[in-house]
Amino acid sequence: MIQQLIQYRIRVISFLVLVTLTLSVFWLYSLTLSKTAFASGILLLCCILFLAAYQWRKKLSFLSLGTATVWLQFHIFVGLMSSLLFLMHIGFRVPDGMLEFALFLTYCFVFLSGVLGWLLSRIIPYRLLSRGEQVIYERIPIYYRKVREAVEQLVSENLKTDEENAVADFYQKNLREFFSGPRNQLRHILHSRRHRHQLTQQVSQILPYLEEREQEAMKQIAVQIQLKDDLDYQRSLQSVLKTWLFVHVPLTWTLILFALFHTITVCAFASTSG
Amino acid sequence: MSEPSVTRPRRWDKPFSLEAGSENEMTDTDVEELLQLTPFCQIDSSGFKRSLSLQEILKNDARIVGFDDGDIIVRRGDWGSSAFLILSGNVRVELERGESSLPDEILGRRHRRMKTLWESFSQLWRNHREAEVREVAEVSGARPAMNTRLTRGRTRIYLQEVSAVLDKYRTARLEPGHWFGELAALGRTSRVATVFSEGVSQLLEIRWQGIRDILRYDTHGGLKSYIEDAFRERALASFLRTDPLFQECSTELMQRIVEQAEFYTFGNYDSSRPFKELNSNPLRITETGEPVIIREGETPRGIVMIRSGLARISQRYYQGRRTVGYLSPGQVFGLEVIQSGMKASVSQPCQTQLSAIGHLNVVVIPKELVEEILEQQNTTGNNAVTEPPRLSPTCQTVKIDDEALLGQLIDRNYVQGTSLMVIDLDRCTRCDDCVRACATAHDNNPRFIRHGPVLNHFMVPSSCLHCVDPVCMIECPTGAIYRDLGQGDIVINDQTCIGCAQCASNCPFDAIRMVDIRDSRGNLIVDSKTHAPLTQATKCDLCIDQRTGPACERACPHDALFRVDMQDAVQVEEVFAR
Repeated sequence: MIQQLIQYRIRVISFLVLVTLTLSVFWLYSLTLSKTAFASGILLLCCILFLAAYQWRKKLSFLSLGTATVWLQFHIFVGLMSSLLFLMHIGFRVPDGMLEFALFLTYCFVFLSGVLGWLLSRIIPYRLLSRGEQVIYERIPIYYRKVREAVEQLVSENLKTDEENAVADFYQKNLREFFSGPRNQLRHILHSRRHRHQLTQQVSQILPYLEEREQEAMKQIAVQIQLKDDLDYQRSLQSVLKTWLFVHVPLTWTLILFALFHTITVCAFASTSG
Repeated sequence: MSEPSVTRPRRWDKPFSLEAGSENEMTDTDVEELLQLTPFCQIDSSGFKRSLSLQEILKNDARIVGFDDGDIIVRRGDWGSSAFLILSGNVRVELERGESSLPDEILGRRHRRMKTLWESFSQLWRNHREAEVREVAEVSGARPAMNTRLTRGRTRIYLQEVSAVLDKYRTARLEPGHWFGELAALGRTSRVATVFSEGVSQLLEIRWQGIRDILRYDTHGGLKSYIEDAFRERALASFLRTDPLFQECSTELMQRIVEQAEFYTFGNYDSSRPFKELNSNPLRITETGEPVIIREGETPRGIVMIRSGLARISQRYYQGRRTVGYLSPGQVFGLEVIQSGMKASVSQPCQTQLSAIGHLNVVVIPKELVEEILEQQNTTGNNAVTEPPRLSPTCQTVKIDDEALLGQLIDRNYVQGTSLMVIDLDRCTRCDDCVRACATAHDNNPRFIRHGPVLNHFMVPSSCLHCVDPVCMIECPTGAIYRDLGQGDIVINDQTCIGCAQCASNCPFDAIRMVDIRDSRGNLIVDSKTHAPLTQATKCDLCIDQRTGPACERACPHDALFRVDMQDAVQVEEVFAR
């Protein structure tokens, strides 16, 4: 573990040295009054292609291409360096051409979604551990069904022949929708427990009006509410971790297409643009 | 309608001599003849239970097997579950170790071939879409030829040129009356040497359950002392030399240590039952049933060195006991107490208690001899009395700062793992890259489930631990589940797995799954007679045929998944301190 920490520090330091050297070379080059845009553009394209290669590394896990941890670290480092190069490349101004503006926006979205993803991958694991059982995302619907069946069993056991079906009425009015599928996703993402508190209160309020047997059933339903809410919590946060990649990855490929088109255009008109 | 009824199966419904590979059933006459031989004639049969008499043990747990010239009786590295007594003829035991020993090809053992770079790369498109695809030819037994022949109704691997082997490799002759294989059978370890028949020989093979019962009920202890003497004579000195304390011992002192060392066995020897019971016990009462070796506050008679099994170190904590560490094979207890006693010139009591987890074999080296070693080292300038000897990582007591976590790891028996998979949930983003990488490396069949008990912020997924004492291997009838000689990992050979599920039912961690196998078109492979689907055992093999090692570990981008050798004190401490 200490060795890993040392290796990590060496990687960070060598990367910082590399960035400093690159930026210094560009600055010295700009002092000669030469145009640096072509050089920075080529380097930026290389950075973007390297960043996209991380996706391929994941698929080639059986080849000796270094561990995914090292690749992710360099993915983050190179991503940060690319932002500096990008700013230098556009001259710290918003481009005015249509293609260039689209390229500018795409890069910004890719970069920001990357930063967001990094933050989410640091924050959400802690939060996932704080509530509920650790469940596999794909199995959550099975757990949902089990919880719903348990609650419906409790409700059906308390059905009466007369019309005063308090538990069934309560379930139909307040809980049926809650148990029918994933609920309160945004609240879970925002770490709010208001809905849970409301449901618990509703259960507490009805208890004095029930028979002893029904009260017992309602207490068991309250336990199932907590279980279901924990499952919702797990599902919501795990959904966030999965869906941000569906934004980041397609945007990256769009960026590569735009960047290649931009490069070809620039090369084609290089002789006329001076 | 009446329920179908059968007679409840009992231990000796099928005697060992009627199992596959036997020649003749053991008769009462055979047993009577055996009882005239040493060591059986020295055993006091009055101590045996009527239902478990010595005669019945020999009749049901032993068999007489014949071998032809060059037939291999046991192979180095194979799992030992029986011991042999030479009745007639001679056998040769190979004395070479390491690279100079008999090569695997001669022993009829195929090397697990590692995938080439191209084969690794082509997994991307060559992996089957259907689950658990096997080549039909492999399952049906059509395999490349090796040195086997049919001897006395049994297919045996043999050495083609015995005289050439005798010329080239150093061997020793064992004659009638000699035992071999008993240490591996009782210690649940692999065979350390290859033994083959020199000329025609006849051997008595006893399975370990039989030896265990003889050891248990023989009041004279004849066989026990024979086995202890064998260990003392053949293996004790080299076992002790693995510890730095004994490495610089003079030959004369080592000889006295070997003569005076005492052997003790604690706990239940039977299979994995204690671990399963412990795992199913919701209260996890760890102290219940653990035999105490040295009590807290007691003055130690010597140092305790673990031969096989695991031992718990605990300390009094209010009204109960708190686990503070554990010891694995080769590790030592009591040395520091003796050292501090020497320093203070007064015997010191133990501050902790040592107890056996499951089945445990220990060697006790008397205190006087330990003091002599320390004094000898002190005079040679090592200053051993005041400074504890520098222990290698494998000789240190395994400890973690979080004692509650340590207790849980022991209670759940995860300390057995030599490659325990652990996921740090504070880092894991549930991306499942580990599962995908595992599936890619195993023809699209993941060999673990990313789900399991959570201890603090560590999850232990349902994956093979590659136990130090792999009870899954004990009852495999074909040796399909075996310890790879190169790395020591436990792997399953698809070509010899008959789908009996013994390993899966023995595994205390439910890490072995039985799966229905299919052909490349996705059709279930069925038994030609019964038309029932064929099953095979599957489990994590640590990507033994992949060039990069365990794919799961390398595929984790957040450094959340790691493998831990629970016998390595330094690694355990570092990993669980994160």
